[in-house]
Amino acid sequence: MTKTFRKISFRAAVAVVLCGIYSVAVINSQPSAEKSAANVHSKDDAKPMPVYGHWKNFTTKDGLPSDHAYCVRIDGNRVLVGTHEGLSVYEDGKWKTYTIKDGLAHNGVVSIDVSELTGDVWIGTLGGLNRWSAGKFETFSQLNSGLPNDLVYCVICDGKDVWTATAGGAGHYDTYTKAWEIFTEKNAPMHEPWTYGVSAGDGKIFIAAWGGGVIEYTTKTKKFKDYTDPDGEMEIDLLPDDGLVHDITTATSYADGILWVSTYFGMSRYDGSHWKGYFDHDSGLASNFINFIRAKGPVVFICSDKGLSSTDGKSWVTYKKNDNNNDGMAIIKNFGRNDDNTINKTTKEIPLSPSIAHNFIIGVDADKDVLWVATEKGVSRGELMK
Amino acid sequence: MKTSGILSVLLFFSVLGLIVYFPGRKWARVHVNAKTAVDDHPLNCLSCHLYTQKSGFISKLINRKYLSPFNMAVSKEGDRLYVIAQDDNSLLVVDTEKKKVLKKISVGNLPHTVILSNDGQRAYVSNEWSDDVSVIDLNTIRVVDTLKTGNGPAGLSLSADNKSLYVVNSYSSNISVLDLNTGEERKRFDTGNNPTGTQLSPDGKTLYVTSRRALIAPYGETLESEITVLDETSQKITKRRNIESAYMMENVAFTPTGDLAIMTMIRPKNLVPSIQVEQGWMMTYGIVVIEQKENGRVIQLLLDEPNAYYSDPFDIVITPDGKKAFVSHSGVNTISVVNIDSVRSLIAESSPELLNSYSDNLGISSRYVIKRIKTGADPKGLALSSDGKLLYVAEQLEDRIAVINTESLETVGAIDLGGPNKITVARQGRRLFNNSGHTFQNQFDCYTCHPDMHEDGLVYNMASKDMGRNLTNTQSLRDIGDTPPYKWNGKNQTVYKQDGMRFSTVLTRTEQFNYNDLDAITAYIITGIPYPPNLQYNPNGELTESQLRGKALFDRAKDNLGNDIPENNRCITCHPPPYYTNLKMAYVKTLALSDDSMLFDTPHLNNIYASPPYLHDGRAATLEEIWTKYGKEDKHGRVNDMTKNQLNDLIDYLKSLRAPAYEHIVSKKFHAKN
Repeated sequence: MTKTFRKISFRAAVAVVLCGIYSVAVINSQPSAEKSAANVHSKDDAKPMPVYGHWKNFTTKDGLPSDHAYCVRIDGNRVLVGTHEGLSVYEDGKWKTYTIKDGLAHNGVVSIDVSELTGDVWIGTLGGLNRWSAGKFETFSQLNSGLPNDLVYCVICDGKDVWTATAGGAGHYDTYTKAWEIFTEKNAPMHEPWTYGVSAGDGKIFIAAWGGGVIEYTTKTKKFKDYTDPDGEMEIDLLPDDGLVHDITTATSYADGILWVSTYFGMSRYDGSHWKGYFDHDSGLASNFINFIRAKGPVVFICSDKGLSSTDGKSWVTYKKNDNNNDGMAIIKNFGRNDDNTINKTTKEIPLSPSIAHNFIIGVDADKDVLWVATEKGVSRGELMK
Repeated sequence: MKTSGILSVLLFFSVLGLIVYFPGRKWARVHVNAKTAVDDHPLNCLSCHLYTQKSGFISKLINRKYLSPFNMAVSKEGDRLYVIAQDDNSLLVVDTEKKKVLKKISVGNLPHTVILSNDGQRAYVSNEWSDDVSVIDLNTIRVVDTLKTGNGPAGLSLSADNKSLYVVNSYSSNISVLDLNTGEERKRFDTGNNPTGTQLSPDGKTLYVTSRRALIAPYGETLESEITVLDETSQKITKRRNIESAYMMENVAFTPTGDLAIMTMIRPKNLVPSIQVEQGWMMTYGIVVIEQKENGRVIQLLLDEPNAYYSDPFDIVITPDGKKAFVSHSGVNTISVVNIDSVRSLIAESSPELLNSYSDNLGISSRYVIKRIKTGADPKGLALSSDGKLLYVAEQLEDRIAVINTESLETVGAIDLGGPNKITVARQGRRLFNNSGHTFQNQFDCYTCHPDMHEDGLVYNMASKDMGRNLTNTQSLRDIGDTPPYKWNGKNQTVYKQDGMRFSTVLTRTEQFNYNDLDAITAYIITGIPYPPNLQYNPNGELTESQLRGKALFDRAKDNLGNDIPENNRCITCHPPPYYTNLKMAYVKTLALSDDSMLFDTPHLNNIYASPPYLHDGRAATLEEIWTKYGKEDKHGRVNDMTKNQLNDLIDYLKSLRAPAYEHIVSKKFHAKN
């Protein structure tokens, strides 16, 4: 594992240098402030990109157990937030926190998903996996069950199946048969057992394998397929859109037939035939350093170290907080095409007061008219601006 | 031949007989003494060598195939009674007027529960050992469909609109929601441990599921068993209520107004030394009453009396007028009649503190138990006629249905289901097994701690006057005839010893079984307790890839580094098939400071998945914990070189182990094919 860290550190350093070079080269349109917000349309697609405003931020002063929020999940009328000090639930305008005293495996809650089938809440923590069902916590650990490892970075529900991405491999738990399966480099095309993210869609599981790209697992055939960066060790995307932008993947998300993959070096989109890469220098992406992504319909929300971005692949909306106050802006970039097929790039900035709580963003969830964001300094709730 | 010749021959054989008889009898005495641990057991060769035959011609000759009625349902008109004949794998259609069995319908293996659709057109039968539900057309009296379920389907309930069937899976501890239009399983929810009972509230909005085994918890903690509450509208679990100090909540019933849910329960005192039996109070029996309102209280009420216990409460039904509840006590062949208005009054007039104290109050039952009605052997399922005037009682070990008038509270008739007239030795043993008559004040019987002839998942403080010493994880009694010695310390070399004088000394604290009874209960234990099939982990003998990898680890002689594993530290050495025990004592470094110094009898591993917790004192909540928490020194098999994947494979293989009987079936099929 140490070797891996060294490799990652090296890559990160290289990436920082390269990003600096590229940022100089990037030419942006002049921003223009808009007092009124709007849904943003890309020229090719009539579906509007949602823009969220009227932000409200929650911190320990409002009842959160910690400002370090790792993840957020909307569950009907309540919102579940994973923090460094426990699971916090926002319901009827109040926060209620659950910790190890209540049965949580560990107070560091880094991932949450809700089973559509049963309504059970599955919670990935830094010390095991919890099922929270009708008020009761049940713990699965690497000692008492087939869970691969207690560091559960991501958990998702796919029908009756629960999938986890852990430091010891990806784990599959069948809630009907109560059987576990582990996928590591021993039995799957992974680089090493460390997995960071997992998502599901159309009968497939997409595992973000650290250093191993994306592992696609077809549940029916039980066959694997892996997607890696064709450039290999290169930190620069030599040939654009030739595949995954980098092998160090942090999350996957699948919606509307599109697989989105985040890395610490940019983001990729895969429609089943073609890959497309996105970087901060050639798109509206806030940063190439992406912690997490969540796709909802045609839109993907991207949690980076420099703000929250969202895109449908053409238009971009990025939320950023000012360094010196609580305000910020929504930066809207359109990448449409003109009639002569040349790229038509426009940028707008909408002032936000207040803005999101912090620019280091780790978790996001959207539902209908609201967007919840987990940040380094609290949780933010935005409303869809009409 | 001349007379003198005949006399000579007779004399020869007489002398020979005497020569053989005296040493032979002496040898037989020594042999029987050794087997029974007493010196006065009659020298009756038949008791051991005939009645304990598990199979073959002799076994067929001396044993009978009984019906064993278990649960029932009555038609709305009251003219038909549908009876589960558990040991016959059938549903009996009974004419209640003529008291006659009209038809026998073959269903799946070990049927458990029967319910009827609202329109009376369909009957649904859960088959606990074939993981399905038989759908029966009551017009044609035929099975028209078979629906797949989870593992060990037991209790059944229909949704208010009769479009969904809720199936309680007792072995996999969950509840399946079946769509009756498609026959498909729509979803499955986890429940408490080993659930069986279920009932929909009268308003059709709430489904209760009771559990029998307590949730796994370390010894010393208050045991808790879960009541799972499902909202019918959303079909989601809305509440998981832990009932403290209670388990074996077999069945549940709602009052017609829906203000109370009442379920049967046992309150075991497993944390105190078992010598408590001498003073009574080792086990108490009663009902859990849950108020059906916001912040409704949970009240535990005993059905026992100060000097008499009413063991093994099984079923509960409530009359349509909501006045009376009937509870069957299979351990004492009795029906308790509970006045529900008295229960309501007691609850209304009592402070919360007082209400809590009732759970340990043996005298309080006089406030609400208005009658005890004796029944035949092992009363199980109850069913009321739709007008509530007649109560039917399934007398499981009589092959008979008792009929009780619910006004006069007298038995007014019986329906003979047509089982064998003869009560065999093993059948008599089963009656003894299920009857508390041999314990002080009827405190418990074998079945109480060995429900389904298995084990109750509890750890007891056995054979010591000191608290917390010699903790003993209850062991299964399934198919143990060929796995001596018995007890964790292996002190009993035979079932005769286990159930003879030592049994009465240690457990029942009363007169030991007479020798006829001892012969009978031994015959039953050795011949009559089969394993369920392992349908969840090994339904057909074909191991999964993971189980095959696990088997290789189980059989291995070298570790991951290529080092030889000492023979006595290989899984296969101490746990060879078919019972996965070498029948020897072993040291695996699991002795606790609270244990007397001893080796442990190597346990058999068939169906081991169904016996949590693990190790002699139940310290391992799961199979994994045997090694992840308590096998760090590699004394219980070489495991510390294994990866997590390998440990999972090993566990998968262990879960696949099943009874030799099923392996023989596979073997026969294989040979027939070839």
